[in-house]
Amino acid sequence: MTLKIALVGCGRIADGHVEEIQKLPTQARVVAVCDREILMAEQIATRYRVPAFYDSYERMLERERPDVVHITTPPQSHLALSRLALDAGCHIYVEKPLALNHSDAKTLIDSVASSGRKMTIGYTYLFDPPALEMRAAVNSGALGKVVHVESWYGYNLAGQFGAAVLADPTHWVHALPGRLFHNNVDHLLNKLIEFVADDEPQIEAHAWRRHPVQFGDVRDEMQDELRVTLVGRETSAYGTFSSHVKPAAHFVRVYGEKSIMNVDYVARTVTLDPGATLPSSIGRLVPAFGQAMQFLRAGARNGIAFARGDFHFFSGLNRLISMFYDSILDEAPLPISTRDMLRVSAWMDRIFSQIGAGPRRR
Amino acid sequence: MKKVLVTGATGFLGGSLVERLLAHGENNLRITVRPGSRRERVLTAAARYPDARIEFVEANLAAPGDAARATDGVDVVYHLAASLRGAPADMFLNTVVASKHLLDAIGARKPMRVVLVSSFSVYGVAELGRGALVDEQTPLETHPERRDLYGHVKLRQEALFREHVGKNGFELVILRPGVIYGPGGIAFSSRVGLNLFGLFLHLGGRNLLPLSFVDNCADAIVVAGQAAEAAGQVYNVHDDDLPTCAEYLEAYRREVKAIRCVRIPYPALAVLSHLLERYHAWSKGQLPAIFTPYKSATTWGGNRFDNSKLKRLGWKQGISTAQGMQRTFAWLRAKS
Repeated sequence: MTLKIALVGCGRIADGHVEEIQKLPTQARVVAVCDREILMAEQIATRYRVPAFYDSYERMLERERPDVVHITTPPQSHLALSRLALDAGCHIYVEKPLALNHSDAKTLIDSVASSGRKMTIGYTYLFDPPALEMRAAVNSGALGKVVHVESWYGYNLAGQFGAAVLADPTHWVHALPGRLFHNNVDHLLNKLIEFVADDEPQIEAHAWRRHPVQFGDVRDEMQDELRVTLVGRETSAYGTFSSHVKPAAHFVRVYGEKSIMNVDYVARTVTLDPGATLPSSIGRLVPAFGQAMQFLRAGARNGIAFARGDFHFFSGLNRLISMFYDSILDEAPLPISTRDMLRVSAWMDRIFSQIGAGPRRR
Repeated sequence: MKKVLVTGATGFLGGSLVERLLAHGENNLRITVRPGSRRERVLTAAARYPDARIEFVEANLAAPGDAARATDGVDVVYHLAASLRGAPADMFLNTVVASKHLLDAIGARKPMRVVLVSSFSVYGVAELGRGALVDEQTPLETHPERRDLYGHVKLRQEALFREHVGKNGFELVILRPGVIYGPGGIAFSSRVGLNLFGLFLHLGGRNLLPLSFVDNCADAIVVAGQAAEAAGQVYNVHDDDLPTCAEYLEAYRREVKAIRCVRIPYPALAVLSHLLERYHAWSKGQLPAIFTPYKSATTWGGNRFDNSKLKRLGWKQGISTAQGMQRTFAWLRAKS
């Protein structure tokens, strides 16, 4: 059996979903796409040869009777579209952020629980190759007990999405409670949840705007730099969202009692800082060669994966979708727990309540 | 007094079009501008025509309400606004959906005439064979998903306008320019080749390059826009004395700067395209399929071109191709 997949919301990220689903022909097939603007649904259907497209969500659910709906609309509509899909008996994949606030996130997840259907959320980087490698190393005890985690998410305001947000004062991002951060800090926080076990760690957040005032409207008020500190019972964490540090880095550092691990999502490398194990100046000389060898091995592994045709931009998205479909088809475990989704949404609420929506606070 | 709406006026072609409209006596213009976009070029052109009335309207045509405001009370629309690059969804939103909003607004207000600036890229030349003549009778693309995104977007945009003509009954004039070039524009059309990690792949060879100097193109748009007999017609827009891609590249290297080039003859490109397409499929899209046999035949197969229909309408090339290239290269040289 292959799952019938429908998608609603034919914006930029929808391309990635359709492409990755179409790489899983033994698990699923995309049967229909929907957007309230029919031309947007039509264009993606034409480019990916999807058999049907709609501008009515209800009609699509009724006619196509999909097994799974991917909800890739702006977050303002996630709750309502999720409920309609669940009522129609569908499992749901919801893009991040889950909802506009923690209360809506809880309502959404309660609806999933009462429907008996399954859901996942687009925490794709948790399933990127470096994240998998890091998880295996942490579980093997290579770092010892984790003391602290640092998560860095660089953002390019001049990139395709950033430019679209800055070009349009009516862009839906400006209407989110956490504005630019709201659409991105899932990727910052969801990497911490496997290390910070607490439901309610201490959280302190600071945010400000660094881009120049130039528009005379809501865009001038958009904060673009965020620093977060979390302190849990066992583990602490830092989170950095920066729109101005270049290059736009994307990494996690895991600080253990035995070693420090550097997980680079851009270069797809995972390396350990073993520290000096030899005495005197030799102890300062040798580590660089050890680090160089680690990067060489990581590069070689990536090269081999590339030669095999298994080194894709959306590796994490593909793996997450496949694991989610496995959970439906074979009762495999869900890739992401609803508790973790709720913890992220609760932390986001607390961060946004601290930083406010004002133009500058520092 | 007739009111003329221009969309995309702050763009490369738009700046010239405003100047040409004013020069042809259209002195009551409404210009749509995206919030925060630059207006200097339009204002510079307008300064030479002190009697002209220029009204700016901040509008994002991707939002339907803005289109209604922009079209209120206008008699003629020159629609240039389009997305040249970006993610597919953004390009469709900013070109096709924006056009739909404009057309919906026009439908309610019935201006006399709509002038759409389309593109050569709507023609389906891949299956015509190398050297085929491209004129207004050339069939439109039937496999847009197999070629470049820009062509797909412009094809859908044109189709949308034709659908609305049937519904709303306005006069539609379509212009399809070739390669618009000039000071302020880009150095190379993809028809000449592609810059790949600092190395220029010269793919066009001895193919004719259908250049249209930006001021000549703008002039053609106004000539067609004002001609009564242009209603319901399509016009290809390009200049005379077209150079080959190789001649253009050679002149660029001589006049602007030396660049590292590799010439890839079409038969080699055809083989490479075939291999890349197979690799793309085998690797499940690990690398983008920038070359496929279909795309290569479309862009680098080589065609002949015909602008006689535009000339019969009364358009004459104002800036010669030699002058146009000279001015463009001088600007590029100063910029580099």
